[in-house]
Amino acid sequence: MSVENVLFWVFALGIVSSAFLVILARNPVHSAMALVGAFFFLAAEYVLLWAHTIAVLQVLVYAGAIMVLFLFVIMLLSLTDADLQPGQVTLARVVGGASAAGLCLVMVETLSKTKGAGQVIAGEQTQVFGTLAEMGRVIYTQYLFPFEAVSLLLLVAIVGAVVVAKARI
Amino acid sequence: MALHSSMLTWVNAAGLAESLYFIIALPLLGAFISGVFGRLLGRANVNLLATAAVAGSFMLSLLVFAAINNAGVTAPNPFGDAVPYALGHDYGTWFAAGGFRVNFGLAVDHLSGTLLLVITGVGTLIHLYSTSYMEHDEGYWRFFAYLNLFVAMMLTLVMADNLVLLFVGWEGVGMCSYLLIGFWYKNPAYAFAGRKAFITNRVGDFGFLLGSFLLVLMVAALPAQAPSQAGRLEAGAAQVGPLNLRGVGALATALPYSAAKAPGAEVTLESRVASGPLAGFTYGGVLTAALLLFLLGAAGKSAQVPLYVWLPDAMAGPTPVSALIHAATMVTAGVYLFCRLSPLLVLSPAAMATVALIGGTTALLAALIAFTQNDIKKVLAYSTVSQLGLMFLGVGVGAFWAAAFHLVTHAFFKACLFLGAGSVMHGNGDETDIQKLGGLRKEMKVTWATFAVATLAITGVVPLSGFFSKDAILHAAHTHVVPGFEGAMHVAYALGLLTALSTAFYMTRAYVLAFEGERSKDAKVPHAHESAAAMTAPLVVLAVLSVLGAAWAFPLLPGTHEPVFENFLLPVFSVTEQVRAAAGTVLVPDHAGLPWGAYVQAWVIALIGAGSAFFLYTRFFPSRAGQPLPAALAFARNLSRNKFYADELYEAVLIRPLKFVARLAYQVLDALVIDTVAVRGTAWVTAQVGSALRLIQTGDVQAYAAIMAAAALGGIVYALSRVMP
Amino acid sequence: MIPLTHHLILAAVLFCIGMAGVLVRRNALVVFMSIELMLNAANLTFLAFARDRADAAGHASAFFIIAVAAAEAAIGLAIVISVFRSRGTINMDELRTLRN
Repeated sequence: MSVENVLFWVFALGIVSSAFLVILARNPVHSAMALVGAFFFLAAEYVLLWAHTIAVLQVLVYAGAIMVLFLFVIMLLSLTDADLQPGQVTLARVVGGASAAGLCLVMVETLSKTKGAGQVIAGEQTQVFGTLAEMGRVIYTQYLFPFEAVSLLLLVAIVGAVVVAKARI
Repeated sequence: MALHSSMLTWVNAAGLAESLYFIIALPLLGAFISGVFGRLLGRANVNLLATAAVAGSFMLSLLVFAAINNAGVTAPNPFGDAVPYALGHDYGTWFAAGGFRVNFGLAVDHLSGTLLLVITGVGTLIHLYSTSYMEHDEGYWRFFAYLNLFVAMMLTLVMADNLVLLFVGWEGVGMCSYLLIGFWYKNPAYAFAGRKAFITNRVGDFGFLLGSFLLVLMVAALPAQAPSQAGRLEAGAAQVGPLNLRGVGALATALPYSAAKAPGAEVTLESRVASGPLAGFTYGGVLTAALLLFLLGAAGKSAQVPLYVWLPDAMAGPTPVSALIHAATMVTAGVYLFCRLSPLLVLSPAAMATVALIGGTTALLAALIAFTQNDIKKVLAYSTVSQLGLMFLGVGVGAFWAAAFHLVTHAFFKACLFLGAGSVMHGNGDETDIQKLGGLRKEMKVTWATFAVATLAITGVVPLSGFFSKDAILHAAHTHVVPGFEGAMHVAYALGLLTALSTAFYMTRAYVLAFEGERSKDAKVPHAHESAAAMTAPLVVLAVLSVLGAAWAFPLLPGTHEPVFENFLLPVFSVTEQVRAAAGTVLVPDHAGLPWGAYVQAWVIALIGAGSAFFLYTRFFPSRAGQPLPAALAFARNLSRNKFYADELYEAVLIRPLKFVARLAYQVLDALVIDTVAVRGTAWVTAQVGSALRLIQTGDVQAYAAIMAAAALGGIVYALSRVMP
Repeated sequence: MIPLTHHLILAAVLFCIGMAGVLVRRNALVVFMSIELMLNAANLTFLAFARDRADAAGHASAFFIIAVAAAEAAIGLAIVISVFRSRGTINMDELRTLRN
């Protein structure tokens, strides 16, 4: 039972419980905070996976920028008490929940039965694996086109967000 | 009657043969122009056009008739070399299927030549008569169009060289008969009479078609079983198929009657069909069945039992229509058909006996009904049915020339009688009840004279043409022997004699009541006036022909000892004679001069019939006016007056069940099953399903997503179950 | 050492929790957050496989996923604001204009 194992289980527990909080909290602000917590735990998990850069980006972008945006919007909408009542239990919701649960079961079942299910990760890592330098190298050489495309996408997103959210164009 | 060849060398026989279609085309053109432009052209023009069209056909028919008598005619003979004195042309194939080919072909031999003259000649006279008879009718252009069309169709029937084209004419005359019977269509009773005629004819046509199909099947079964005979048949028929008249003759000569008559033949009429849909039946059986089906067809067209019921009702049409169609031409189509099928008919004694019995029964039945009819046209209608029965009797005993002879003479005197009746109606304010006429002898001289002559012709009191033709049939019924069916032949002969007696009686009755005695007190107009010349001239011509026709009954030609008409038709029936002699199905005694003994016997019978009618209606009944009849006679009279309840029988047995089934089909099958269940039901189900499915459209996006998730889960589970161990 | 399947199962569970949130919650914003959970589950999967194969392509994918998620969140929230402005509510039960 190495440290890594313990840490893994701790972080896993954290992720799952935060996620449950996200979907079960009545107040959306509580959900948002739980989501931030989930992101942090996830970032820690990423570090365990030797994806340091991504972990940092997770915190910076997801927890830092996106969640702030979420909270801004939540505040902006200033929900009343009426909005905080629990939703009706409709057939659609029951079916949806059941499908999600079913899917979970199926995936877990399948994944645990795959070949080499218990095998430990065996890949040889170099010292640079997961570092920013390594990631930069990969992105700017092999995945240059997606990089440029994503920047275009972000431009479109900016323009779109401005246009959609404006009261008057 | 073979005119000298030198007189006709200027006639180009081949060119004439090619132009045979003109004879049909002229009245057809007349019908088209009268029908389409009749109103514009006006009454006088339409009269002229229609009559001229038929008269033109008559001229051409004379020319053709002269040409076929040319002994050295070199035109292609459509009937094969066995039948001389014929002219014809094949205009091309209509349709072909396998070894079976149907052509547009027209052919004229002595029989059809005679009929051509009768149809166009009597037709011209009747057109002339109609110009005066229909002068007050509004739809004159329609009348002449239909009349011309009828003549064209009848000419097609008579000139066709194969059974299919004959059937075209057959149907055509049926249609024209319907159109003309229901000419005054605004009266529902007349329209129903037309409908009845058409439907009854249709039943007959069904038989005609089935008979043709059986012939085709029979010929198709031959090559497999008897290659050499089939080869001879095909060579003889010149690859035109079994429905060509030439093919009929070839078929009759190719199939011997029995193994005893033709030892060594592969297939005779007694052998069974080996393959195909007719397998198991004998050839003779199939042939008899086909002929009986043709008999059904002929019974429909020529008003025999059981399909005669339309003819009396057909008197609803104008009188010239009755004269042309229901006396002279259309009703003779059945007799003509059997004359053409005579080579096959003599191979089946069973069919011959049936034909003879049907003819005899019809003749007597109709004569008995005519005893008590008071409508003069009905009397003549039943008389026609009766005389047609005699013609069928002639065909059934194998005296084809006699039946054809009676056909021709009947055309003359019956047309004269009908036109005379029309003249009587015209002069008495359209009165048809003979009990309300009387004394017309003094007031309508020409009509009286011609009617009297025609009555004498039909009854045979004075030996005019009708006497000899009728007696030729009766003599043949008496002397021809059909081995195996002698009993039937005796019955037929007895029926024929009784019919002759009855004919004399009822015709004299009609004549006496209408023309003799004093004018009835119930008459519509005080004085009858004679009809116009356009009406009386045809009467005179027809009466003269009724007299002159007798000449053909005598053996006037040098070197022959049979009657002129029989000699004239010898080429036509040469194949028939050959087949009959080989098969031995009908034994005909040799002619030894004229049968004077039979003539005297017939004359005595006619005198008895006519004399008793004359006495009864001029002295006996008037002296007992007002006294009721004894019960037995009254019963017989009512039975006869009500046509032996034949129509009522048909109504109850056939028509009512048919209407019931039709109503069932309409209400249950059509309205319920198809309309309500299938059509509207499908729409209703669709609407219901649509309404049900509409409930899924909630607008709730999460619901849609939930469905997608569930479906995706299902898909994943299924895929994994197939893949995972 | 943690086996690969543990990471994968964790990601799967996270994904399903997110999916449950999308299908069940009434508030549109919470639905969005659940979508972010699902995206993160995908991210986790990518990174787990990248570690397993010592291939940096997984990192690149995760990088792009984060970028796209950001863009999507921006526009999505703009739309939510727009909807709130026009209909006054972000309650999914009341946003039913697709109804028959």
